Amino acid sequence: MSSPLPPAVASRPSAILEARGLTKRFPGVVALRQVDFDLRPGEIHALCGENGAGKSTLIKLLAGIHPSGSYEGELRVDARAAAFRSVRDAEAAGIAVITQEFALVDALSVAENIFLGRLPRRGWRVDWLEMHRRAAALLADFGLAVDPEAPIHALGIGQKQLIEIVRAMDKQSRVLVLDEPTAALSDQEVGILLDHLRRLRAQGTACIYISHKLTEVLAIADRITVLRDGASVVTLARSAATIPGLIRHMVGREITEQFPRRPAPPAKPAPAEPLLAVRNLCVAPPASAGAFLRNLSFELRRGEVLGIGGLMGAGRTELLMHLFGAWGCRLSGDVVLQGRPYPHPSPRESIARGLVLASEDRRRYGLVLEQEIGFNLSLSSLRQFLRAPGRINQAAEHRRNQELFDSLQIKAPDQHARTSGLSGGNQQKVVLGKVLMIDPAVVLLDEPTRGIDVGAKQEVYALINRLTGEDRAVVLVSSELPELMGMSDRIIMLAEGARGGEFARPEFSPERLLAAAMHAAARAA
Amino acid sequence: MPIALIGICVFFALRESAFLGPRNLTQLFVEFSITGTLALGMFMILLSGQIDLSVGSGVGLIGGLAAVLVFHHGWPAPAAMLAAFAVALVLWTLMGGLIVVQRIPAFIITLGGLLIFKGLFWLVIRNSTVPVARGDADNLYSLLTTYYLPARAGHALALLVLAVLGVLAWRHRAARRAHGLPVPAAAVVTAIGLATAAGVLGLVEILNRFRGVPLSLVLLAATAGVVHFLTRHTPFGRYLYAIGGNEEAAALSGIPVNRVLVGAFVLMGVTVALTGFMTTAYSGASTTTVGDLMELDAIAACVIGGTALRGGRGSVGGVIFGALVMTALLNGMTLLAVAPETKFIARGVVLTLAVWLDVVFGTAKN
Repeated sequence: MSSPLPPAVASRPSAILEARGLTKRFPGVVALRQVDFDLRPGEIHALCGENGAGKSTLIKLLAGIHPSGSYEGELRVDARAAAFRSVRDAEAAGIAVITQEFALVDALSVAENIFLGRLPRRGWRVDWLEMHRRAAALLADFGLAVDPEAPIHALGIGQKQLIEIVRAMDKQSRVLVLDEPTAALSDQEVGILLDHLRRLRAQGTACIYISHKLTEVLAIADRITVLRDGASVVTLARSAATIPGLIRHMVGREITEQFPRRPAPPAKPAPAEPLLAVRNLCVAPPASAGAFLRNLSFELRRGEVLGIGGLMGAGRTELLMHLFGAWGCRLSGDVVLQGRPYPHPSPRESIARGLVLASEDRRRYGLVLEQEIGFNLSLSSLRQFLRAPGRINQAAEHRRNQELFDSLQIKAPDQHARTSGLSGGNQQKVVLGKVLMIDPAVVLLDEPTRGIDVGAKQEVYALINRLTGEDRAVVLVSSELPELMGMSDRIIMLAEGARGGEFARPEFSPERLLAAAMHAAARAA
Repeated sequence: MPIALIGICVFFALRESAFLGPRNLTQLFVEFSITGTLALGMFMILLSGQIDLSVGSGVGLIGGLAAVLVFHHGWPAPAAMLAAFAVALVLWTLMGGLIVVQRIPAFIITLGGLLIFKGLFWLVIRNSTVPVARGDADNLYSLLTTYYLPARAGHALALLVLAVLGVLAWRHRAARRAHGLPVPAAAVVTAIGLATAAGVLGLVEILNRFRGVPLSLVLLAATAGVVHFLTRHTPFGRYLYAIGGNEEAAALSGIPVNRVLVGAFVLMGVTVALTGFMTTAYSGASTTTVGDLMELDAIAACVIGGTALRGGRGSVGGVIFGALVMTALLNGMTLLAVAPETKFIARGVVLTLAVWLDVVFGTAKN
């Protein structure tokens, strides 16, 4: 899949950071293949790519999180080979990585966070006065009107982001790596952040900037490297880059017919009412007043697979979790399930009414890992096996478990094997089996093929076809565009919690879908 | 672990031949009934990943309440016990409710309970000694630990229990075979069955040489049967295991997590009341020290018996066994007149050792 680098962008010896032929393998997956990348002093170099293109893996190598020896290829800092065994080594070389999950301690003050691990001392005591003085000076340098003694949790996300940068700069970092720094920022905060980055650039700090927001990338980056399927596809100067061009590079791959979607036969007269109807849904995250999911409307009919796509953080998982009753607080809008309004969802009632969810994080939300396969399969359906007085008919339960165990072809000695010992694909089958035993009308599938092998994926696709063939309906969330396009009858792309676009099957194209996912960002520019 | 129990028994029997004598064994089994009953309640709490530190004080309070009603107010024993039992239900429902509704960790709520119940207890008995019966007359309360089944009834009960166990085992085996699951060889099953029968009948024989099978032991057996049924054969029990194993997954599986947790605390209240009556009756009177540290013995019994402190793993058999280890240890040390300070240390060492072994072997298994 790797494409040769265009000759125009061969690196110069002056590169501060250089990667040659990086290849990183995880069990069953090649996350990076022969990636070349270079960063010059005083430049902002953007990394773009779809979810799973390898951006995060690449910065984890640069940050020493994947230590040297766990990958192939060479890293050079100042033209000298570098072998980072840990994050400390990378920091010592002047590389600071700021991820979406801040490394800030909420209970401590701004100043304490800036100097965490390097608190100024006098003898064996912390020199509080010196610390606050230096913190105040640093903050003033950044033009930040923040009290160094304020607790960090009192700060907004944008300010926290800047505090992370202040901390990195105080560590004399020469390379700043920012992973989706603006994902949670308001437009105004984005402006402030970009100004700071430009100022740091002028002072000679180099920056690797990862963002899905292409308008932002074009506004700040000097050069842009696109990753796709773990390979570096192209490196462009800003002057040569356009949004449609970047999107083409990001998705440019052939889609083979590996998704055996069998659309439901349209012969039957379409039932008058949809299984699930969502109208103008607005949902706020827990403990927050502002809407995150905004004004979403859609309908789901029997025998249909509705695909939900979008970039990381677009609200796909939140939408499913909310419909199921496990996330967020509904501000407005209606949900109608099988013709009856469903104003106050809860997992228990959802299951009782035939709406089920197979979560993306099966180890956390799906399975009781230390229990047997059978225990997990029947966990949501024990009522089916009740016999007076409140006793489980274990023989009947065992029979039903065995049916699913066999029909899903779960690879384990028997249904009494512990779930923790199964492969990802087989664990996923247990989660799906549990959902099937409920006999649902609407199945919400969140990334049902994440982290499972090709064979198991095919079985999941077959299962989706079986479900819709039985007149049930499926909502499929997937980060993989080919999968989404291959398995959905209709796709809604989400962008920052709102609808970015809706497409019928004939209209599917990666470019269109991705453009819709970036719709909100593009419009803001 | 069974080796540890045998080791403890052999050690004490060698040091003091009376340890395995009918009189001491009878006493040991009464103490075992008390610790075991409380441990069974604690088992369901631990299974769901919670903890209850208040049960020691609660045992004192509930026992004391019933004693005061009988001795000072002249209530008939059954009425007094029923009233105290109702108080236990209310208190544990409240604690369970606070834990699930306010999302306050059980550790904190029940630590508060420990102190509050202790204070209430001392208020109720006015820091004095309150006998469980007036004068020398026996009542239902005092008989809890002083009534012994007549020899014949003991034998009959033992045979009945063995017959029921045999039928259950046979049906279980038949069901497994019907589902094509492996079953242990018939010879092995027969051997285990005969050994169990010999053990039970032998025990009854020894106990009969003193006064007979203590009523409290029958109560423990009944409690164990109920708890086993609840945890193994009802959705409630499944849910306990599921919540202890992965609470988030349990909630998303449609399990009424809050209701199940409150249920576990209510059942804890039931066993606290039972234990309170038995242990107070065993002392003959309610005094300020009744119930002291019993929460720790109950937790220790569970953990020694293989119950995971973080929840999701354990069995009734294990808990019963753990309670037997703890009781044998305490009883033996008392018999040898070991100094109280040494007793504390020995209990602590056994508990630590059990947890350590659990961690070592538990991680090895995974």
